[in-house]
Amino acid sequence: MVFLTLSCWIRNRGPDRYWKVQEVLSNARHFRGRKNRCYSLAVRAVRRAFVYATKARKIKRRNMRTLWISRIAAASREHGMKYPALMHNLVKSSVEVNRRVLSDLAITEPKSFLSLAKLARAGQQEGFGAALGDGKEPPGVFSRIVTLQ
Amino acid sequence: MSSFTKSAQQWATFARSWYLIDARMQPPGKIATMCAIRLQGKHKPIYHALSDVGDHVVVMNSRHIAFSGNKWEQKMYSSHTQVHSSSIFLFFLQIVKLAVYGMLPRNLSRRTMMQRLHLFPEDDLPEDILLNLTEELPQPREIPRRLNEYSQEEREAFPTLWTP
Repeated sequence: MVFLTLSCWIRNRGPDRYWKVQEVLSNARHFRGRKNRCYSLAVRAVRRAFVYATKARKIKRRNMRTLWISRIAAASREHGMKYPALMHNLVKSSVEVNRRVLSDLAITEPKSFLSLAKLARAGQQEGFGAALGDGKEPPGVFSRIVTLQ
Repeated sequence: MSSFTKSAQQWATFARSWYLIDARMQPPGKIATMCAIRLQGKHKPIYHALSDVGDHVVVMNSRHIAFSGNKWEQKMYSSHTQVHSSSIFLFFLQIVKLAVYGMLPRNLSRRTMMQRLHLFPEDDLPEDILLNLTEELPQPREIPRRLNEYSQEEREAFPTLWTP
């Protein structure tokens, strides 16, 4: 008597389970606890990590902008101006320098930043003069009316 | 500045300064905002939360702080029990300390920043702190003078609405 159904019971699992598991665990090696060793826990943690990484690409741009703004505010306060006043007067003077470049200037080119702050300060004083003064243009100025195209 | 070596320039940029604030007749909240800004390093263009760029701040005469309004009677500080702000003598240091603690960001570097804040009740600062001080910050509030501190000429020169 020969057992013919024995060969039907052998299950041929995939040959590359090891590498599929390593694909996930290699992303989890720097985690804390059993999540860096055990596949079931690691799979969940790795998925969360990838989701956070996807969302963070937008948040990174926001964080960088707030960092630039706080650096520009600190540098402008060193020169006696506040950040809103600085930005508004730079825009009024049609200096279209973005916050990234301004913060880099504040760190590496302090004299250039000082000159920009002085320009903004002049615009601020001019605005105060126009608002509080008697409506006449200051002497020696051709025309204060600048229109942004 | 450009003639310095790169290492010397880096050392000068990231050095930690010691600021002095005189809190005589000043509102503790305004003192605390100045302290908090400098402890975090937000007054520097190289600021980053992870970079530990905060400076030391020494507050002297913190016994002589002046709350505005009726806060000495009305403001309550709680720590499991309610404590009236005018009752305990040694409480003065805690007022400024709690104010600064509440103004710092709620993260792990808050405790390190509080360790860099030095509060003293009177003028007498220890020798080693006096040697470290670099800059004194201007007081946020102009101290008003009492009537008997004005001279007779200034009192007569002051404009009157009507003569009684």
